[in-house]
Amino acid sequence: MYTFAFDLQSYAPIGILIIMALVFGAFNLIATHLLGPTRHGEEKEGTYESGMEPIGSARKRFNIRFYILAMTFLVFDVEIVFLYPWAVTFAKLVPQSPESAMFLGRISFFIGTSIIAYIYAWRKGVFRWD
Amino acid sequence: MIEKLWFLIPEIILFIGVCVVSIMGLSHHRTWRSAVPGATIVFLIAAALATPFLYTPEKMEAAELLMPRVGWYFKVIVGFVSVLLALMCIGLIDRRYEAEVKAGRASFDPMRVNRGEFFIFFLLSVMGVNLICSANDLIWLFLALELVSLPTYVMVAMSRPSRKAQEAAVKYFFLGAMATGVFLYGFALLYGSTGTIVLTEMRDVFAAQVAEEGGVNLLGIVGMIVSLLGVAYKIAAAPMHFYVADVYEGAASAVSAFLAFVPKAAGFLGMILLLGTMGWAGHAGEGSTGLPMPIVTTLWMIAAITMTLGNVGALLQTSVKRMLAYSSVAHSGYMVIGLIAGPGLGINGVLFYLTAYGIMNTAAFAVLAGLERKKAEIETVDDLAGLRFKHPSMAIVMAISAASLLGVPPLLGFMGKLYIFVGGVETGHIPLVIIAGLNSAISAGYYLYLIGLPILSQPSPQAETITTGEARWPRLAGVIGAVLIIVLPVFTNYLYDATERSTEGYLDEQARQIGATDADEPDEPPDPALATRE
Amino acid sequence: MMTADSLHLTMATLEPFSSLELGHFILTSAILFAIGIIGFLTRRNMIVMFLCTELMFQAAAIAMIAFGRFHMDLSGQVFVIFILTVAAAESALALALVVLLFRRKETLNAEAWTELRE
Repeated sequence: MYTFAFDLQSYAPIGILIIMALVFGAFNLIATHLLGPTRHGEEKEGTYESGMEPIGSARKRFNIRFYILAMTFLVFDVEIVFLYPWAVTFAKLVPQSPESAMFLGRISFFIGTSIIAYIYAWRKGVFRWD
Repeated sequence: MIEKLWFLIPEIILFIGVCVVSIMGLSHHRTWRSAVPGATIVFLIAAALATPFLYTPEKMEAAELLMPRVGWYFKVIVGFVSVLLALMCIGLIDRRYEAEVKAGRASFDPMRVNRGEFFIFFLLSVMGVNLICSANDLIWLFLALELVSLPTYVMVAMSRPSRKAQEAAVKYFFLGAMATGVFLYGFALLYGSTGTIVLTEMRDVFAAQVAEEGGVNLLGIVGMIVSLLGVAYKIAAAPMHFYVADVYEGAASAVSAFLAFVPKAAGFLGMILLLGTMGWAGHAGEGSTGLPMPIVTTLWMIAAITMTLGNVGALLQTSVKRMLAYSSVAHSGYMVIGLIAGPGLGINGVLFYLTAYGIMNTAAFAVLAGLERKKAEIETVDDLAGLRFKHPSMAIVMAISAASLLGVPPLLGFMGKLYIFVGGVETGHIPLVIIAGLNSAISAGYYLYLIGLPILSQPSPQAETITTGEARWPRLAGVIGAVLIIVLPVFTNYLYDATERSTEGYLDEQARQIGATDADEPDEPPDPALATRE
Repeated sequence: MMTADSLHLTMATLEPFSSLELGHFILTSAILFAIGIIGFLTRRNMIVMFLCTELMFQAAAIAMIAFGRFHMDLSGQVFVIFILTVAAAESALALALVVLLFRRKETLNAEAWTELRE
């Protein structure tokens, strides 16, 4: 059974990450506030909703292109599921052993097929918005 | 691992084909786009021809598969029947759009070009069947079965621009997704029963269960039955047959022919592999009683109900496609007898029958794909009346393929039925074979109609308006199929020997494994290559 | 075959659960599966029907994980990853087909589609 030792030092990277994120966010906000030009207008002050008109009934039709993009996204999103176990296992292999080469080959093939699919979708004009 | 990759070369060829076809399909040049079916056929033939060279005896010996040699036969057969199917699909997709482009009325629009995609799906589906041949675990089997099915759903929807095709696709997809869920749950139970997903290990565990407890445990039996019911969807067997008529009617004839062969071949191969983990009587070592009784009963009922429903259903139809759809159900019922009979005549018979069925069914559908009336497919049986006067070759093809489907003696279909029925009798399932015989008699009712109407009858007024389609390739596929139906019976012995060779590795392996199994084997020593870096 | 032998070590520190506990998980998955199949057969909205098939997939996934833990074997979990992927691919396909139909006829009721009948 595990004994749960609370070792503060091992959390240091997470702490640093949190601090960096806070500093980065605060810096950007303050910098744009100080440096950026300030303009007002109807478009400018409206809610940003990924290019859609945010006012009106929520039950109106979406552009069909949202579905196409969503489906494309779904496929690539799920790909991550395979990359995680692969990465965990790959880190434990002996470097430059034939096994690690085979592992790399497998994942390259896998990513390669996705890239082919991506290029096909691109050429097909899935990402074109007109 | 490398040995397995070696067997996958036909699939890799098909995959390269997928890439090439996708590039050609999106080309700006019309000539490239119109060469897509040709490229598909080239890659299908290349994959089929490569197979015999790859399946050398040493390689097959080294492969740790449940049925190491089955791909040697199956990939070739599926490849060549798929060539006929691909011929039928020429000119099916984008016909109107390409005509507009040719006449200069439309410009190239990637969103409207579908031909490349259709043939990509075609190749992927065939690739799925090939992959099942090398399946040695449930994950692989599951993914391969899905690779066969998912493209077919899209193919149905794309096959013609009518609402019927889309409705058929949705029906096919939803019921297919449900069937997938069912056999997936069966796989989970099989895994629970044995603690392994590897088919060869699963067979050893089942053998150990039989030796220790006198039978496969309940979880295993339930899991197997649920899996079989799910896979029954792919072979269009009862109780999963109800979609067949609607889907085949909605899809274009060429795609219906595809649905009647490719998923069916995949389903039967999957079933053979699944049942192979439990083994048949006399083939799973001493003291083995073969398949557990509940599973035999399930298969028995599936076979009897499927062929009866199929044949009675076909008798009641007036639409040719629905008639052929129900006949496809009935033929699945005949083939399930082979699954019950087991290795030897049974399994070899199933492999043989799949070949025969693929050819004769493709020929029958090719007649429908090759004819049209006012740009629409012909619907009713009466449309075929007196076909001989206007299109003699198509009439003869229809008559020959229907006669073969019925099982008229010298033809290919008869040989297939013979092996399966003899296999059934040999293993003592005489009542089932009698039911099958009666069913063959019932089937004469509608097959004779299909034979006689085009040849003997006078053309009806509506039959006069039938013309041949624009593309001549579907008709060529029909003629090739008809020639094969007549010629192949001469080579029956050779073909049967091939099926025998493709299954024999499985028998030896199983006989050797029995007795030497130990379910409680300690874990394998860790692989040195996987040692941690520290 | 199993590559991650260190993961085996991690699992070795865990206890396989007893068959009593296994029963709970399998019961859960069986109930989910039953809900899925009954829902599929009785509901008529195509989106709900699709959700029911997803429910069946997830029932199988739960059973896989439970059995995997019971046998102290990783392949059940591996299987689940593939089930998730195929489920995603099927949902993409379902969405496409349903949108296709909806554009033709503005309803998701499966009974509105009765062109193909005897």
